[in-house]
Amino acid sequence: MAVGQKNPEVERQAKYLAADNRQVEPDITKVYWFPDDNEVRLLEITEIVPLTSDGEVHPFYFRASPIDDLPLPTAVAMIRAEEFGKLKLPDQWGAWDDGIPLEG
Amino acid sequence: MEYRWKGNMGWHEAYLAQARSDWAVLKRLSGKVETCHTLHYLQMATEKLAKALLTSPCGADPAPPTHVIFVRMLQVLKARPEIRVRLGYGDAAQAFRKYIDSLLDYAGRIERLAPDQAGFDHPNPEYPWLDKPKRQVLAPCEYSFDQFYPRDKKTITKMAKIDMLVGELLKLSV
Repeated sequence: MAVGQKNPEVERQAKYLAADNRQVEPDITKVYWFPDDNEVRLLEITEIVPLTSDGEVHPFYFRASPIDDLPLPTAVAMIRAEEFGKLKLPDQWGAWDDGIPLEG
Repeated sequence: MEYRWKGNMGWHEAYLAQARSDWAVLKRLSGKVETCHTLHYLQMATEKLAKALLTSPCGADPAPPTHVIFVRMLQVLKARPEIRVRLGYGDAAQAFRKYIDSLLDYAGRIERLAPDQAGFDHPNPEYPWLDKPKRQVLAPCEYSFDQFYPRDKKTITKMAKIDMLVGELLKLSV
């Protein structure tokens, strides 16, 4: 479990989604998880999206869907590799160093 | 017009409600008015659907002020297992990915219909523009928008698929 993480279900869902997403979209080269106790926060690195226009990471939010083995809400953003560490992260996501790379 | 208060609506629900309303207007207008008007509502419905997903259901902030978000939303959606299941693809993740990928070029065309993307020299459904090769100012209401509604089967099929996809996404409680 990640340091400070109290809800193991968050990490399980993060790893499940990271693996699923990389399998579906091979152009996702890396997935970073930003731990939180109530929401799965993923940042995916891929060249299939254009450069961000306003210098900020804007995640898409998805409700929990327990019937699909997704008991927690998810926030997921896609950025280009060259933007990593340079964009402004969403409030509450912490710092870039807080992102934990998840292996596919 | 009377303002109908529907309770404690957040940004997410409000964007979704407006996207559904834009979609309903599109369906009412389709085939009855100039093409520009239906395309305008299509662009607005897709943008607001994407903005609904850009706002957390419990968030306090509106979506960022961008019109270029429909394609990025589809890029993210194609890796969402619950959306895949709801749209009937079950475990066929690669088939769902191919389905979404096949629509991205037309999704991009819809995204670029926003006036701030089209500028003054490209077709858009709201404002006149200058057709530089012909040196003519054109009004949307007099333009055919063949790039969306031509007679070739491939384009008709893709637009029908986008229509179906957006309609289904708007029905989901995403």
